[in-house]
Amino acid sequence: MSSVAELKKQLKDLNLEYAKIKELPKEERAAFGQRINQQKQALEQQILEAEAQAEEVAVEALDITAPCDLNGAMPEFLTADHGSQHPLMTELDRVIAIYQNMGFDIMESRQLDDEFHMFDSLNFAKGHPARDGYDTFRTEEGFIPPAHTSTMQHRVLKAYRHKLDEGKAIAVAVPGRVYRNEDVDATHEHTFYQCEGVYVSKDCTLGNMLAILREFFEQYYGQQLHIKTQPGYFPFTEPSLEFLIEKPKSLGGKGDGWLEMLGCGMIHPNVLKMAGIDPAQYHGFAWGGGIDRLVMLRYGLNDVRHFEAAKLDFLKEFTC
Amino acid sequence: MLISLNWLKQGLGHINISDDELVKLIGARLVEVEGVIDQTHKYDKIYCVQVKSCEKIPDTHLTLCKIDDGAKALDIERDADGYIQVMCGAPNVHQNMFAAWIAPGAIVPSTCHDAEPFKIGMRKMLKQYDSYGMMAAADELDLGEDHAGIVELDPAHARPGMLLTELFADLDDKILDIENKSLTHRPDTFGILGFRREVAGILGQKFTSPNWYLQAEPTFANDTSIQLDIETDPKLCPRYTAVVLETTGQAVAPYLTDQATLLARSGMRAIDPIVDATNFNMLLTGQPLHAFDYDKFIAVGGTAEPKIIVRAARSGEKLQLIDGKEITLNADDIVITSNDVPVALAGAMGGADTAIDANTKRVILESATFSLYNLRKTQMAHGIFSEAITRFTKGQAAGQTLPVALRFVHDCADFLKPLAVFDSQNAQPEPPKVSVSIDHVNRLLGTDFGVAQAKELLENVEFKVTVTGNTLIATVPFWRTDIHIAEDLIEEIGRLSGYDNIQPVLPLHASATPNQTFALKTALRQQLSALGANEVLTYSFVHADLFQKVGQSSENSYRIVNSISPDLQYIRQTLVPSLLDKCHANLRIGYEKFALFEMNQVYSRSDGLDADGVPQNAQRLALVYLDQTSQASFYQAKHYLLELLRRRGLQVELQPFLAAKDHTNVYYEPKRSADIMLGGQLLGHLGEIKATVLRRLKLPVGTAAFEIDLDLLVATTGSQQKQLHFSQYPFVNRDITLTVPLSADFASYERKIRQCLDAAALLYRLKATSIYHAADAPSKNLSFHLEFAHPHKTLAKDEIQAIMKQIESIK
Repeated sequence: MSSVAELKKQLKDLNLEYAKIKELPKEERAAFGQRINQQKQALEQQILEAEAQAEEVAVEALDITAPCDLNGAMPEFLTADHGSQHPLMTELDRVIAIYQNMGFDIMESRQLDDEFHMFDSLNFAKGHPARDGYDTFRTEEGFIPPAHTSTMQHRVLKAYRHKLDEGKAIAVAVPGRVYRNEDVDATHEHTFYQCEGVYVSKDCTLGNMLAILREFFEQYYGQQLHIKTQPGYFPFTEPSLEFLIEKPKSLGGKGDGWLEMLGCGMIHPNVLKMAGIDPAQYHGFAWGGGIDRLVMLRYGLNDVRHFEAAKLDFLKEFTC
Repeated sequence: MLISLNWLKQGLGHINISDDELVKLIGARLVEVEGVIDQTHKYDKIYCVQVKSCEKIPDTHLTLCKIDDGAKALDIERDADGYIQVMCGAPNVHQNMFAAWIAPGAIVPSTCHDAEPFKIGMRKMLKQYDSYGMMAAADELDLGEDHAGIVELDPAHARPGMLLTELFADLDDKILDIENKSLTHRPDTFGILGFRREVAGILGQKFTSPNWYLQAEPTFANDTSIQLDIETDPKLCPRYTAVVLETTGQAVAPYLTDQATLLARSGMRAIDPIVDATNFNMLLTGQPLHAFDYDKFIAVGGTAEPKIIVRAARSGEKLQLIDGKEITLNADDIVITSNDVPVALAGAMGGADTAIDANTKRVILESATFSLYNLRKTQMAHGIFSEAITRFTKGQAAGQTLPVALRFVHDCADFLKPLAVFDSQNAQPEPPKVSVSIDHVNRLLGTDFGVAQAKELLENVEFKVTVTGNTLIATVPFWRTDIHIAEDLIEEIGRLSGYDNIQPVLPLHASATPNQTFALKTALRQQLSALGANEVLTYSFVHADLFQKVGQSSENSYRIVNSISPDLQYIRQTLVPSLLDKCHANLRIGYEKFALFEMNQVYSRSDGLDADGVPQNAQRLALVYLDQTSQASFYQAKHYLLELLRRRGLQVELQPFLAAKDHTNVYYEPKRSADIMLGGQLLGHLGEIKATVLRRLKLPVGTAAFEIDLDLLVATTGSQQKQLHFSQYPFVNRDITLTVPLSADFASYERKIRQCLDAAALLYRLKATSIYHAADAPSKNLSFHLEFAHPHKTLAKDEIQAIMKQIESIK
């Protein structure tokens, strides 16, 4: 291995060589440029490695078992007034705590999934335009960073269907991080959080679903609330609805405005069937809504980009 | 989609609720209404006027006109005859014509939604002529694109001084802006007819579709001299109906029509009578139509009679579209061909070679349905988002191609004569029947509908329903492509009667099992923040540059192939690089010392797939400690790590750092890092970040981090019994200092002290207080503070001395 200085000199020479490109006939320039670039990249890589190696030799080992450095002060924690919890996570904790108190088990959503869980298991026909509405990212292998927490529905149904045999209901909330392939601006993020709910039993009804959702939001906002719905469309629920609550007092509501909180509906029989649950015996409902919006409403934030920016100026607003 | 409220109401029975209430009801029972555009004042103070005289101003394009407004406009200068002077720049202005005049003080309609609407007044033209208001072109009225001349009104109906909204009563309109997405499965509602049927249903009115829609029969006999072959692949094109027509006169619209205003209020524009009739019928029924020039069609195909072949495009085939653009087709596109030569991109756009023009003698009108799956791909591949393809991708019903084609024929009777109809499908399929029991309805919705009530709800929107006992058997109308199973009917019943009328009732069910990972994360979050650390969330995706900076291999990452942002290339393998990446920006704005932590999932290709065949995930906690003023961050990070574990009653062992085969931990400096072992398993890594990495990220030397596996932590929590160090007998306090070789590791001496105390079966608390090294000395001093007691007795002086002697003699 040559020394760092030698390699750097070689790189300088190569750069001088590159200047000769102008003297070459046009048709040879591309090949020449490409060759020089390859050499340059190789050299740069060698320089990095050589630098790293040189540094490695110079590094002094430290005693990993010691509590502090030689002659150093004993470590101390930063004071509590520096610390903060992320507002999205504290909000998610609140949401989860309410669902748990309401008897919902919790299963976290995955951050990398496949076409089967994201679409097929949810009764999206192959190639159906409804799949486009989700603007999914894809990996080389065809895996999908999921665009909704519904990607967990099939797993939830399979993991908990034993409860139905035991004469109990499946009641699970699924929080998680989801992704949409879109440009980021004040109101759009490609990364955000949702929470899904899944409920299946022998005799549950759409009326039960409305009651559970109302109960959740009444707990969440600490007041009684009026609710309303509007028809929606999701391939995995039938009927499908959008669920709205009256704007709560804590958000400046005066009993007139409505907030669209989530999409919901009775689970499509095909979704139950695919998870090995007999839709003639059981039915269920499911819903999903965003967490980021709850936080933005709570604090009157108008730029969603704060959440993943990791700026201490913003985070310290949430010091405990 | 824009829906004219005036048009919607035509054909509905009496509505005894206000427009606001109607819109609310539509929102609650049909589809989200994103907004209502109120146009009821858009055409205020715009009058029909007659041009009484025209005087060309020499050397200009202007004409000085006197107009008769029926003396309606106030406070305006008039001549002796009571006429008003207006300058007009349009070439088509002529004496006695009727025009639309925007009176002074009125807003030009095309600007009425602008930030600053343009209010017309009196203008001095050519420094000498007063011109009051303006005679408007179609574009200024927001009723068309045309700016070449002013709008001419039909003298059979227009009278001087009549308001434009008296001549076209529907102009005073409210436009509903409909959120299309929740109608993805309802192609029928993309025409006003279907939308109106639904509104009737939610108002409890019985709707009956017009006869021409339900029972389409040509009113003319096929001219047998016209032949047309249609060859389709039913998978790509379930039905193709074509009508051949010949032109019987120039198709021009001399006057502004109701239809033109309707197109405008539906977000479209009048262009020419044939195109307008196709667009009007699409807005009416949701069925897009396309007109080809018959003779050009034959010429392209090189046959005596046209032969329509609908087929999948061949990859690489070219087609020049009507907008002049040449596109390269791919195998997912469907093409209409003339004897195999592509002439149109099905569902999306016609071709330039067969476009109708002023010389067109004969027309082929296409009314067809195509595979929505293919059209969706066409839409994406060629970026065509027209009103037509928006409707086609909802999957229009095959049953309506003929009725809509014949309706077009009817509408164009003034200038097109039908010659013959051809259809790829001759027999109408038997309509499907779907049954549902009323018990099923009530069990799913939590309602108590009776059979008769449910039957009526369905019949109102034209299902034919028979009842056997408790079961409703519904014959599905041909336009309802979305009704297949009992639940589909249940949705109709619930929706049409209003979900908001369903009583919410809480179900009873068992209590939940707490999720330990969640509980752990909540606790860690609270503890770390109380210890002054800041929780952050960073993206799951990273740029290849970051891998290069920290030395990780992109090969070990799942790569995103379709991101619209170059920053989102790979799924991260560990959390620490993302945290390091966020430190510099915080340093730069003045934070010198901080600890950032994140709990999130990571994915490495080297971890393989799980039982479901998807990438194995790992739940991690990572913390980065950075201090601009000190290089001892390693011990700070370690302090945080051990404290978190201590609070869970867990002890870990720090072992010499081993580089991972997949290079995931490559950014730790091996000589200043450790493997964290918990119960013999690798919990994670703790260490100083390599100087090269820190330099690339512009971070201070010594910055340290740890990252641990939360799944393992959850699995191990509670496995080690918590040691209590409490005794009712007094504790002895002592400070000890051991002098040991400089190279000795701290833990081995600490262990020896513990061994002495354990051997004597004592309860104790041992705390290091300093590590001192005098310059050039071959040894260092380890100092501790020690408290110990016996569990069963008070220790005697000599017992204490014996213990201390033992400890002080440790070598």
